[in-house]
Amino acid sequence: MSALTRLKDEAPVPSARTPQRAGGRGGLRRYKGYLWVLPALVFYVTFAILPAFHTAYLSLFDWDGVTLATWVGLENYGEVFSNPDYRNAVGHALLLVAFFSWIPILIGLLMVGLLSRHRRRGMTFYRVLFFLPQIVPLVAVGITWRWMYGDDGVVNQLLRGVGLDGFTRAWLGDFDFALPAVGLVGTWAMSGLCMMLFLSGVQKVDTSLYEAVRLDGAGAVREFVTVTLPALRGEIAVAMTVTTVAALASFDIVYVTTSGGPGSQTTVPGLLVYRLAFSEGKVGLAAAIAVVLSCLILTIVFAINRLTRTDP
Amino acid sequence: MNLQRTERWSGYVILTLLAVGIVVPFLSIFFASMQPSGSTVTGLSWPDQWSLDNYREAWTVAGFSGLIQNSFIICLGVVPATLLLSTLAGYALGTMRLPGGNAVFMFFVAGLTIPVELIVVPLYFNLDSVGLLNTYWAVILVEIALFMPFSVFWMRTHFRATPPELMEAARVDGASPGMILRQILLPLARPSLMTLAVLVFMWSWNQFLLVLILIQDPDRRTAPAGLGYFVGQHTTNIPVLSAGTVIVILPIMLLYLAFQRSFIAGLLQGALKG
Amino acid sequence: MAKTRLIRAALAAAAATAVLAACTPGSEDAGSDDSDSSDGAESVSTEVPDEDATLRLAFVDGPEMVDELIAAFEEEYPQVTIEPQFTEFTDYVASIRLNMTSDSAPDIAQFNVGAMSDLIPSGHLLNLDPYSEAYGWQESFPSVGLEQLTADETGKVYGSGSLRAVPAGMSLTGVFYNKELADEAGIEIPPATLDEFEQALEAASEAGHTPLSIGALDSGGAHMWAALLNSMMPVEDYRAWVTGEAGGSISTDEALAATEKFTEWADQGNFNDSANGTDQEASTAQFVDGRSVFLMNGNWAAAQVADEMGDNAGFFLLPGLEQDAPAVGSGFSVSYAISSQTEHPEAAAAFLDFLASPEAAEIEAHGGFLPPNVDAAPEAEGVLGDLNSEFARVVEADGLNVFPDFSAPATYDALSSGIQSLIAGRMEPQAFLDELQGIRDEHHEE
Repeated sequence: MSALTRLKDEAPVPSARTPQRAGGRGGLRRYKGYLWVLPALVFYVTFAILPAFHTAYLSLFDWDGVTLATWVGLENYGEVFSNPDYRNAVGHALLLVAFFSWIPILIGLLMVGLLSRHRRRGMTFYRVLFFLPQIVPLVAVGITWRWMYGDDGVVNQLLRGVGLDGFTRAWLGDFDFALPAVGLVGTWAMSGLCMMLFLSGVQKVDTSLYEAVRLDGAGAVREFVTVTLPALRGEIAVAMTVTTVAALASFDIVYVTTSGGPGSQTTVPGLLVYRLAFSEGKVGLAAAIAVVLSCLILTIVFAINRLTRTDP
Repeated sequence: MNLQRTERWSGYVILTLLAVGIVVPFLSIFFASMQPSGSTVTGLSWPDQWSLDNYREAWTVAGFSGLIQNSFIICLGVVPATLLLSTLAGYALGTMRLPGGNAVFMFFVAGLTIPVELIVVPLYFNLDSVGLLNTYWAVILVEIALFMPFSVFWMRTHFRATPPELMEAARVDGASPGMILRQILLPLARPSLMTLAVLVFMWSWNQFLLVLILIQDPDRRTAPAGLGYFVGQHTTNIPVLSAGTVIVILPIMLLYLAFQRSFIAGLLQGALKG
Repeated sequence: MAKTRLIRAALAAAAATAVLAACTPGSEDAGSDDSDSSDGAESVSTEVPDEDATLRLAFVDGPEMVDELIAAFEEEYPQVTIEPQFTEFTDYVASIRLNMTSDSAPDIAQFNVGAMSDLIPSGHLLNLDPYSEAYGWQESFPSVGLEQLTADETGKVYGSGSLRAVPAGMSLTGVFYNKELADEAGIEIPPATLDEFEQALEAASEAGHTPLSIGALDSGGAHMWAALLNSMMPVEDYRAWVTGEAGGSISTDEALAATEKFTEWADQGNFNDSANGTDQEASTAQFVDGRSVFLMNGNWAAAQVADEMGDNAGFFLLPGLEQDAPAVGSGFSVSYAISSQTEHPEAAAAFLDFLASPEAAEIEAHGGFLPPNVDAAPEAEGVLGDLNSEFARVVEADGLNVFPDFSAPATYDALSSGIQSLIAGRMEPQAFLDELQGIRDEHHEE
């Protein structure tokens, strides 16, 4: 995902790296190089691009997946926007963005502010640990947290341990806390990545910049605001893109922790696509939701791209 | 001076606190998996006696041996094919002057935003009509396509960073593009290929929604998808459920520890390079 | 420059897709390949061919029972091998439609009305009328079991039409109780009326116990609600709604009163604290641990209750409003349908026929299910004995109602989330009923 945000740096590639012997007037020969690209392109188009368009096409039908479909035009989209259940699912996904994206980025920045002033030993060890949530299957993460949030889970154990017995509950079954609880799983999973991105970014900053502001008598806060933060803009954009996309396509965690409950407090678009298309026989509607979700992702990625484009 | 030292130490304290936060879930699931099957486990608790019985139960009764095998088969299909195709495409897009090459590259990169949700519904029906549903092929083919944008991006970036003089010299000697790739560029590309391989392996191993839908036969599912189904059956038998979870995590975790440099470099640079 | 190219490429791809997908979805097959099943006119054989046949059986309930049934059947027909394929309930409901319409559909599948009704008009389920006639199933299976498994050609109206599946064992939901705790609280068992049961809940509460455990994380809450409907709503009205009769409605005064009673109980703290975070298995575990006086669950929990509590547990149906009201309970059969794509319909039908045998009845009872034929039930004591006698009462009164999620495929999700909302006080009873009614109406309009 993140590659997108960096695209700006190379979009107008002149790609004149290799002087061409026969090039320039070579006609068809110039296209010969595409033979190398073709296999990848064929796979990519057949199994990713065409199905994406096919989904858009299906979204115009009322189809149960079994019997004959009827053309309904944009009716499914009307349903997606008018039915509160579907609208709410999109809202939940957007709220998850705060937990998957904003909080981890804030934590990451805070840590950089605290840690970046010194080189530290033993960072490899911490780095290996902090990346751990990134590499394990989200299903396993979800199952682990599902149990941690349970009546007898670690979270309640901790609360009891500090004398907050009154606050214990089955977190994922609670109408007010289920969605934030799912969100915090995302915070747990994403914080390490953000932190490491920023820490590695800050190492590239010219140390003379820091020395300069320090000579000016700047404190840690001003140093952070004037030097660190601007230097990390690219990294922040990347972190935002990665985590936002993860939040919007958060099917795995929700599926194993709450399946959308209690009530429909934690439904997300991915879950609806799965349910509507395959168990409720509303394939067109499911396709429409998938299209809306994808548009949302595209818009946000584009917006992040745009906002961070204003280069110095 | 004193201030410096407290700052340094407080840094470590905070790092360690966060590390504990990361580790506790893993520890709790690991400890739980060692408790007697069917017992009530409360939070993070040290097992009275250590036993691998739950692992045996998960491995045989719950069929995780088969699931893990399926996962490996799919990864073995996906990783080499993805590496091969993306190397070829990355080579051409990164070193040759192709008319419209940038547009094609952008076309690939645009695929980075495609969520599985967008493609899985028609894939289900289309793969069914050609008889590929419930086969490893269904998942392998789609995953190759799904990982292609990043892989092409990654390999193109690598090849663009190779000094052009190398290729130029070979070309003057009369080497064909294929020979240049094989004899000069590939040996140099090993670290990049290694990193890409572990990333693709990880993504393939962790893929859930796609498998859940394209493979309905419970015996052919991958480990994470099987685990997703396993939850419902063993919600109250936390120890066995935990053992199943550890079994699914373990292979990818070991791979990560063995190749942590590649993983971290990939995750960081994959995000930043370009 | 690059951008216009990209757009052009995208347009080209779009054009290609349009060509590819120019036909209306679903038009190529709509289940027409094996439509020999659509009318039950042709004659079938009860002979199982000698050649080796392997059948796959997808199911959700009673893995041990299924294993035993298969073993006993294979002994009788050595040329047939049956491979069981277990899936947990929620996922079974979600995936069985997919599974049955795919090329690798299982030969035999446990029948679930809500999830499988679309498969009837599409021709993916074998019409069992010819086999029923050939084997004489009308005699060998009791009518209470078979009636629930008939459906018309649209797959939307139940209780009449052709036979779609055959029962292997019946299920029944009701109230389990802890004798010791009930005695302590001075509760008399069984309560004769719903009022008496409410007083019992109150007494349990006063004695410092959690009165009633339900597992509303999955379908446990819906079972409680359905039980209240059974007690408070006329049986004909409920059946008209759930089986898809024209004009059937859940939006009635009696259903509203039952739903309000449900929320009232939730408000009063009659249910376990975190009912919404507890699934049925966990609610049973709570009850077995002595953490509640009553448990709302089905016969599938009986074996565990009997094992762990022995004589200390019993079972009764939720009583009606008045004393001596007819016994009404929710239950459905564990039943099996045959895929129209199977290559061995005779072998599959022979398996279904085997389910009527006394040997199968023994296995079913042992597996915690109620043999459809009440007389074939082996003697049992304690909670299992209670279950048998309560089921016999229901059968006698013709009071077996199917579960509410059978009213439409989309009902299940709306029901479980709606019940959770009711418990949390986030939804008005009337709105809940209106939503269910809306889903049913939409299903029948199509």
